[in-house]
Amino acid sequence: MTFKALLIDAYRQLSAAKLFWLTLGLSILVVVTFGSMSFNEEGMTIFYGLGTIESDMIYEGSPWARGLYIGIFSNFLVTIWLSWIATVLALISTCTIFPEFVKSGAIELTLSKPISRVKLFLMKYAVSLLFVLLQVLVFCIGIFICVGLRIGEWNWAIFGAVPVVTVFYSYLFAVCVLVGMITRSGIASLLITGVFWMLLWTAQTAELALNRFSVDERVTIESFETSVLEQEAELETLRAKSPDDFRIEKRQERIDDMKEDIASAKDTFDKLMVWHEPVQIALIYLPKTGQTIGLLDRWLKDDSGFDIQAMMRGDMRSVEELEEFDNTTRFAREREASKRIHDDYSSRSLWYVVGTSLLFEGVILGLGAWFFCRRDF
Amino acid sequence: MAVIDIHDVEKTYKGKIHALRGVSLEVHDGEIFGLLGPNGAGKSTLVKILMTVIHASKASGTFLGQPIGHRPTLRQVGYLPEHHRFPQYLTAIQVLQYYGALSKVPKAIRTKRAYELLERLGLTGWEKKRVSTFSKGMLQRLGIAIALINDPTIVVLDEPTDGVDPVGRREIRDLLAELKSEGKAVFLNSHLLSELEMVCDRVAIMVKGQMTMQGTIDELTRDSTRFEVHIVGQPPEWANEAFDDVRDSMLIKHGDNTEELQSLIDKLRRDNISIGAIEPKRESLEDLFMRAVDHIDNPGSVR
Ligand SMILES: Nc1ncnc2c1ncn2[C@@H]1O[C@H](COP(=O)(O)OP(=O)(O)OP(=O)(O)O)[C@@H](O)[C@H]1O
Ligand SMILES: [Mg+2]
Repeated sequence: MTFKALLIDAYRQLSAAKLFWLTLGLSILVVVTFGSMSFNEEGMTIFYGLGTIESDMIYEGSPWARGLYIGIFSNFLVTIWLSWIATVLALISTCTIFPEFVKSGAIELTLSKPISRVKLFLMKYAVSLLFVLLQVLVFCIGIFICVGLRIGEWNWAIFGAVPVVTVFYSYLFAVCVLVGMITRSGIASLLITGVFWMLLWTAQTAELALNRFSVDERVTIESFETSVLEQEAELETLRAKSPDDFRIEKRQERIDDMKEDIASAKDTFDKLMVWHEPVQIALIYLPKTGQTIGLLDRWLKDDSGFDIQAMMRGDMRSVEELEEFDNTTRFAREREASKRIHDDYSSRSLWYVVGTSLLFEGVILGLGAWFFCRRDF
Repeated sequence: MAVIDIHDVEKTYKGKIHALRGVSLEVHDGEIFGLLGPNGAGKSTLVKILMTVIHASKASGTFLGQPIGHRPTLRQVGYLPEHHRFPQYLTAIQVLQYYGALSKVPKAIRTKRAYELLERLGLTGWEKKRVSTFSKGMLQRLGIAIALINDPTIVVLDEPTDGVDPVGRREIRDLLAELKSEGKAVFLNSHLLSELEMVCDRVAIMVKGQMTMQGTIDELTRDSTRFEVHIVGQPPEWANEAFDDVRDSMLIKHGDNTEELQSLIDKLRRDNISIGAIEPKRESLEDLFMRAVDHIDNPGSVR
């Protein structure tokens, strides 16, 4: 009964706020724009069929059409609209909930009710997530209908965005609540949450870059080392056959060059590790905002690789078409590194990504609840 | 049975403000109890401790038979906080529903009672209006309605008549009397002495975090009962001994013994002294209050 009352109250509070309706309006606008794209036999149509972009890859029913349409949703609408713009709007509208809740004059009556403070705090926290939940739900219903109509796929996995975005938002909101609890100021909590989010983003981006570099170096070292071994073996046979072969010197030079490259790559790798390791360790304990949002892309992706990321790399062949002869070329190494990074990220379990993040959230909420329970109002 | 029976309640706020210094208090079943005290005496602090809004530094005793801080008991308690602020986006009826639900009043009863209470507090016609449009006195009435939404055994009101017009005050006084007749205990904080005098069965006076007096108004003022005899001309010699006090032409006799007074009057008449007036006098609550405040006269604040 208490939870229901708090929930109804939260809904009334939301619906009294202009920003809630503004955000909802923008959401619907985004959905309408998304729905304006379609596919026919010749290619892709835009603005509800006003114009057609002809293509022999992207047309009605082609796997690339699906990759593009779903990809726009899971890569752009979710990452840019939901987890960025809409999240900022949501934080602005919800940052005052807790400071208002504990405001002197309002809190006394609530505390004098037969509910324990911890329960009250957690329930209030849960119902405060309603803002995001409702927004994302409405958005997903719109997207679900668009996808169904445009590419004929009634994909329930789209609704995965509801928990994913809500959970993502809750990492930030927990920080917002804790600060709001301590400072009792909406502005302060908004600012500090913003700073926290930026730091988190910076750390995650830095980790991505560092990871990319160190995997690159590692791939270089490995492929060069294999190559050196092969070439040394060849050199041996060459020497055994004819010790005066003019190619011996050339080969030896190439091997020495490669060894030098390996040494310098090892050096760079070690230097990178000095930075990469601490950032990596720090990120284990912090909420994984990027990876949480990335879960959706994992769920929605076409396993055969027809996806928007491949399209963006200019790689519109299917994966099997590419065969490599020399693993030491720059292109081969980059492809190998990308593959490893991709495999590494997709191997991280839901448990790891969401679990460790929720652990962080739990600690922050615990602190908030502790403050709330101990405080004299 | 005592609904509130607490001893040695102490509270030191952060920042070393010693707001309560060993307060003991007893409120009986079905009575109207008034807690008096000047600003900053610690009245609201005491109420907030009872309502678990703040934690006491030290407290013993019971509230409705349970130790202070026992949450389930709060179902039977109604509370009007001092500077309340109800959610501005709700209507009067929604506010009542909301707090009713938090007090675990079943939905069916809640709605019916909410309308009844609004009518009882003179807010008919305002049920569907937003709280943000209410005047101060109307908010106060709404606050009292909220305190009654769970049909409490005891109602704790922190300055219920604050900001209410004279007609409204009268209505609130009548309401308190009605609540008493329904068997509810009422605990109220106020510094409007004349008002308390009219409704309270018992009062306590608190000054600087300490309880100075407690009892029925009758008990507290009994000691000050006296007769004042105003005579024409000079008092006789013997009057200094026979009366308790002589001030020019006013002779004062303490107590309420009329027999004794008659013989003194006879004696005055025998001496041919004209009597202008005889007045029975009793201290008002205000006099009592002033005396209590003067009594604790360590100057400065409660620190
Ligand atoms: N939250 C708080 N933090 C620190 N000190 C406080 C707090 N609330 C009250 N006090 C102090 O405690 C003392 C008692 O305050 P309280 O509000 O209980 O007085 P009161 O008797 O209700 O006064 P009034 O008649 O003005 O309502 C005051 O000195 C006040 O400054
Ligand atoms: Mg007060």
